[in-house]
Amino acid sequence: MKRRYLLMTLILFAALGSGLTGFSSATAADKENCLMCHKYPSMGRVGEDGLVKNYHVDAHVFLNSLHGEVGCRECHTYIKKFPHDPVTEEVNCANECHIKPPFAENNFSHQKIIDVFHTSEHAKKTDDSPLMKDAKPDCKYCHLNPLYKRVDEKNIAYGKTLDRCLNCHEKKGVTVAYRHMTHRLRHKTSRSSKEIVALCSENCHGNAPLMKKLGVSGRALEVVETYKESIHGKMTTLGSEKAADCISCHSSSLIHDIYKKDNPNSSIYEKNLLSTCRNCHAKINEHFVKIAVHPSIAVPHNPILFIISNMLLRFILYGTIFGLMGLLFLETYRRKKDGIGMKIKAGSSWRMPEKMGTMKKSVQKEPR
Amino acid sequence: MTTVTEKISQSGQAAEAQPEDYFTHVAGVGYIPRDIYKYVKSNPLGDLPRYSAHIVIQHILVFTTFIVLAATGIPLHYSDLFWAPYVLSLFGGIDTAQVIHRSAAFVMIGASVYHLVTIAGSTIRKIAKKEFDIRRTQVPLPKDLFDLLNDLKYFLGLAPYRPKMEKFMYKQKLHYLAILWGTVVLISAGMALLYPEYVALLWPFDPSFVQDLARIMHADEAIMALIVVAFWHLSNVHLVPGRFPAQWTVFTGRITREHQLEEHFLEYIRNLSEIPEEREYMRSLLSELGYAEEEGDPK
Repeated sequence: MKRRYLLMTLILFAALGSGLTGFSSATAADKENCLMCHKYPSMGRVGEDGLVKNYHVDAHVFLNSLHGEVGCRECHTYIKKFPHDPVTEEVNCANECHIKPPFAENNFSHQKIIDVFHTSEHAKKTDDSPLMKDAKPDCKYCHLNPLYKRVDEKNIAYGKTLDRCLNCHEKKGVTVAYRHMTHRLRHKTSRSSKEIVALCSENCHGNAPLMKKLGVSGRALEVVETYKESIHGKMTTLGSEKAADCISCHSSSLIHDIYKKDNPNSSIYEKNLLSTCRNCHAKINEHFVKIAVHPSIAVPHNPILFIISNMLLRFILYGTIFGLMGLLFLETYRRKKDGIGMKIKAGSSWRMPEKMGTMKKSVQKEPR
Repeated sequence: MTTVTEKISQSGQAAEAQPEDYFTHVAGVGYIPRDIYKYVKSNPLGDLPRYSAHIVIQHILVFTTFIVLAATGIPLHYSDLFWAPYVLSLFGGIDTAQVIHRSAAFVMIGASVYHLVTIAGSTIRKIAKKEFDIRRTQVPLPKDLFDLLNDLKYFLGLAPYRPKMEKFMYKQKLHYLAILWGTVVLISAGMALLYPEYVALLWPFDPSFVQDLARIMHADEAIMALIVVAFWHLSNVHLVPGRFPAQWTVFTGRITREHQLEEHFLEYIRNLSEIPEEREYMRSLLSELGYAEEEGDPK
């Protein structure tokens, strides 16, 4: 009997513990109990390509993430039976999920932003080559399923504002909704500028051989290089949160509307530049936008600056340094030879050749 | 005359020295040999005035801001190198470092303006009192070129003694001019980078060129200044023999007697007429050596 009590107490504590750490809500959202299998960390198999695939879902992480309230099958719609067949389809972000936003008539869907994306330069078009279709990103390339990040920008009074919401609303729902919203209240995206530049450049725009294959030519091949040469690029490389990254200029607040610069809808279309730059630079004029954001001093673009920077200034720099240092070493060599000691001293730094009195004897006063 | 030449050849000086170059006659003091600096006594904290308190304060302002500016600016220029973020993390990351860089820049500009006001004011005062002497200023004169050549002769063993130089010798004038030019370039290029919209209005034909030029000039001039200061200036004032481990002129504004006599001989001669104590010291030293002017000597 005693052993049974002990067991029950343990179970009680375990339940309490998991409740405190959020496991109780975890199991609640997983109505169909997919976690029965997917909770095991070693769950997976060796795929046809020989790679080990892991199907483990960390309930604690997933259920606190952006999609934590969404049931598994609302995205993985192709799963019809249990146990399910091997998955071949990708999830479709345009699905309607059975979550109704407050004051909305329809279920939530990402369709609207996907429509914008489909008009952009990154959408897969029917006349694209297979290579191009492969190279173009899908939703998941940029969007992982992030955990809510609390905004730590100074101008958002998180605690105080939340308290006001709690005057009317229930704590749990409001906290989730509030995090969901403030997640987007920053000046830029919730991904850091550095991450955005890495996403755009690493596999695609910074990969010159691939870009050449896709028919990109000219300065568009050097965009990453030239951006990193600019003040924006240098600031971003060093982790600035203020400097412009790729999408700060190449898209509007829709984020996904990235077009070539000859498209009138593009944020970098000649006539739209002024308003795009104004997002950060308040007091600008029509001449300001002529300043190169992707500057290059390479010979074909800017031969004068190339000569100034790489020849003239280099020559002056090395000439000055070696000239002055040569003078310094020559001077030091001669002064040492002439009898100066190393240290500055009270008295004299010079090793006197003779005593002061003997100078009188050997050197006679020779007035003119 | 022969004994002088003998003495010089004995001490390993190959070239001839003319006695009129070797001795400098100062009325009421005596005949000062050119190499007297080997025989004087000096206080490492400085014996003779060189810089006013204003100049010392300006120098402190400039070198502190210079260090801050370099530490916040150079990592930005070399943003892709591994150490850059670590240096900037000392200043609280790039966004804070940007604010610090700009604030330090304005302090430095303030120090530069302060310097110009000081120089202009004291020049006007000296002109009014009819004490102004262009040879005691930083203005480069033909003599500096000859000083450089004669000094090179000494360095190469072709001359027995260093030339007699003014308060500011060719090294100081070179450095001062370089700082003048560098400050103008750095301030104007920095302003072009800080206020691109106004520069675009000033030069609407090709603002992109101006920006790129400013970017290149600002970085290049800064790197050059940093290298020159770190290697040449610091070695010259603190590390070379006779100055090591530190010359205190930077804080005391005073120069040691041996240094003044070696590199700024003509200024020392002026010091003799301006500072009675120094006159007394030199007089007693010369009388010990036997070069003092005898009482009632008509010469």
